[in-house]
Amino acid sequence: MQTVMRQNEIFRALGDPTRRAVYERLILREETVSGLTARFEVSQPAISQHLKTLRDAGLVTVRREGREAHYRAGPEGLKPLFDWVAHYEKFWRGREARLKAVLEGLEE
Amino acid sequence: MTSTIATKTITVEYDLPFPPAKVWRVLTEPKLLEAWLMPNDIAPVVGHKFTMRTKPMGNWDGVVHCEVLVVEPNKRLAYSWKGGAADNPAYGQPLDTVLTLTLTEKPGGTLLLLEHSGFTDQNEFAFTAMSGGWKSHGGGRMKEVLGGLN
Repeated sequence: MQTVMRQNEIFRALGDPTRRAVYERLILREETVSGLTARFEVSQPAISQHLKTLRDAGLVTVRREGREAHYRAGPEGLKPLFDWVAHYEKFWRGREARLKAVLEGLEE
Repeated sequence: MTSTIATKTITVEYDLPFPPAKVWRVLTEPKLLEAWLMPNDIAPVVGHKFTMRTKPMGNWDGVVHCEVLVVEPNKRLAYSWKGGAADNPAYGQPLDTVLTLTLTEKPGGTLLLLEHSGFTDQNEFAFTAMSGGWKSHGGGRMKEVLGGLN
């Protein structure tokens, strides 16, 4: 199920302590790679990799300004985690055929 | 925190070419229910507590805790449906819902109305958890919440 996949991706992305700290920082304010590198004392490639993972999970967005890329995180990235309604709506709609198949197989 | 939290209900209708008595069996016999839904130990007795087992999600073990609330043979069945990661209030919102199944006989079969109610309004929930929590407590609340993720 797609919702579950999105959820697992988010959990995976936030499971790493450094990535979590980066994410937390980006919720508070917009940052550049160099800004984050200075702040977290990890290499620039490592920060870039963390940002890529966070972006792939839909948690972080980028805004380009000249040669600089500015990263930020908004609460909308966490929406899949709250989407029980979408999850169950799909779930219940998807069960009708299986229910019918069970009924077909029932003895009188 | 606001005192009233809006909730949502999911409504799905199954049009089944089988009599209500047969549909009732598929809703109340553990083996039959498992065949189309998930492993369970249901019994159509008011007050009976049972579980449903589904795929774990994030911090949640995938166990749905249920208690039978209404039993009207061949007509209506309702039970609570609770789950989610309760230790993780803002991530993987806990579920505290009710599933009501209403059977209506019709020529040649049964109309099964499935109502899954009590979902907390997501936007309001997200708003409370995110804006309020994050803005007033800075990263502290966030850390606390995320701490439960491992």
